Amino acid sequence: MSLLAVRDLSKRFGGVKALAGVTFTVEPGQVLGIIGPNGAGKTTLLNCISGLTRPDAGDIRWDDRSITGMPAYRIARLGIGRTFQIVRPFPSMTVRENTAMGGLFGRPDGRLQPAAALKAADEVIDLVGLGEKRHHAVLRLTVPDRKRLEVARALAMHPRLLLLDEVMAGLNQVEVEQALTMVRRVQEGGVTIVLIEHVMSVIVGVCTHALVLNFGRTLIEGPPAEVLNDPRVIEAYLGERYARRQQPPPAPPSKGDGNAQA
Amino acid sequence: MIAREERVPRSLRRFAVPIGIALLAYVILVPLTSTDTAQQAGLPLLADKLWFRIATTVAMFVVMASAWNIIGGLTGYASFGNVAFFGLGAYTVGVLVSSRGWPFPLALILAPVTASLFALIVGIPLLRLRGHYFAVATLGIGVAVGELVNNLGPLGASTGLFLPIVRSDLLFFYLMLVAAAVAVLSTWLILRTRFGYGLLAIRENEEAAKIIGVNTNLYKVAAFCIAAALTGLAGGIFAQWNSFINQENVFAISDNVQMILMAVVGGAGTVLGPVAGAISLELIIQTLAGGGSKAVYSQIGLGVLLAVCVIFIPRGVIDFFGGQSRLSLQYLRQTLRETSA
Repeated sequence: MSLLAVRDLSKRFGGVKALAGVTFTVEPGQVLGIIGPNGAGKTTLLNCISGLTRPDAGDIRWDDRSITGMPAYRIARLGIGRTFQIVRPFPSMTVRENTAMGGLFGRPDGRLQPAAALKAADEVIDLVGLGEKRHHAVLRLTVPDRKRLEVARALAMHPRLLLLDEVMAGLNQVEVEQALTMVRRVQEGGVTIVLIEHVMSVIVGVCTHALVLNFGRTLIEGPPAEVLNDPRVIEAYLGERYARRQQPPPAPPSKGDGNAQA
Repeated sequence: MIAREERVPRSLRRFAVPIGIALLAYVILVPLTSTDTAQQAGLPLLADKLWFRIATTVAMFVVMASAWNIIGGLTGYASFGNVAFFGLGAYTVGVLVSSRGWPFPLALILAPVTASLFALIVGIPLLRLRGHYFAVATLGIGVAVGELVNNLGPLGASTGLFLPIVRSDLLFFYLMLVAAAVAVLSTWLILRTRFGYGLLAIRENEEAAKIIGVNTNLYKVAAFCIAAALTGLAGGIFAQWNSFINQENVFAISDNVQMILMAVVGGAGTVLGPVAGAISLELIIQTLAGGGSKAVYSQIGLGVLLAVCVIFIPRGVIDFFGGQSRLSLQYLRQTLRETSA
């Protein structure tokens, strides 16, 4: 049984179709990488799954139970943790306190009391590599550290599914390597992961599956290496002419619906 | 949050706590000897009827500032309509005592109930607004309820309501003092529970609070209702103490502004900040207003003081009791950097 099943998900913002019928499933233990050009609907998809945005149509099932339109806090307590592309820490709290908030509210296996949540925060802080900075104020953290903190706070919720929204963006090569190790360790801990990423080495490095979104639709889905070499993906990112020059046998051009890039 | 809480008491214990306990003991115990005894003994402040009144007023503002702090300081929703809760509490007691002939204690129990029921009804739609929108909407509620009361015959309309006079400075002083203690203790307790952390999370980043599992709508409404209950309690006591209520004295928007200023100047989001703010500001207001023809200066003085406070000690005067020296250039620089970030 799929852990998460998304079927025909649609969301429109005014004249822009952010999602135009996305369908995919996530199996337990997978690391699913979602890629796609800017404006393809990746973040909207995560917002719909985590309950911050209500989809116009379609169904999201968690453990074979529909969670479509459920409030975000209830989805969180079911075991779906997420990070934000633009980090959203609690600025007046320290690293440790920020992380503890995840265990205080989100745990599907029983929420912790404040003191216990602080204690439980320490292990995930070490896992994401913020051990040295646990008592630092958030405002003193660098951007990569703030992204680690996002992951720590989500992990403190003991999620079964972790949604990572571009946690590697803006990191240098060394930091990306560290982040990859972190993601692998999280996966080994039994957490299923869905991650949005632009850094291709991440997709190849940790993902078991990849899915390409373009104009709010699923363009292609499959093993990462295959997906990244597909001419349709190259076309989506770099344009039709570039794709034709690269790959002599042209694939049937995909039908995007107007200019959804706005 | 916890780190900040731990940082405050270190030097508080050394200086402020003993002084505070001594003052509190004086304030609580001296009136017990009755005003007459105090007058004979020539004890300062509390032997004086005027000062008794001021002390009761200060306690009343401690309740209002602490209550405002729960929704405005902890949750981050700056309510300009809290005075409506004060007025509703006052009118609950007023109507029940003067028109229905209820005993005051029984009527007083219902004052916080009415206020928080009202908060529940208006809170559910209003707390979906944020920032300025919430502030303006609550301001509207505050004015509207006052105007409504002013035009309702059974509530005395513009004449107001008269309650049978109870002559006891002591009773009302202690009632307000108990209400103040309840307000401060509630804040202290809230900050030690999951509920309190949820409120802080909402203040710091509401979206993030939602996705870690905080039931933000429930928490906000609950905080609003608690604030309303405490404010309504103060209003109920005020009604009997003053024995006359009308729109002007219980639905004054200036009172709402005052409770916000007290909480902010003292230190919004802290337990003792609103207490420090209420005591210092009310005393300053009373002192400046005492000058008769110079009363106009009290407004100017207050304005200047507030501007200075907001710029130089945005975390409130309670922050002065922190570990490091607060009178250094470094503190000023750090403060400016943090608040502009």
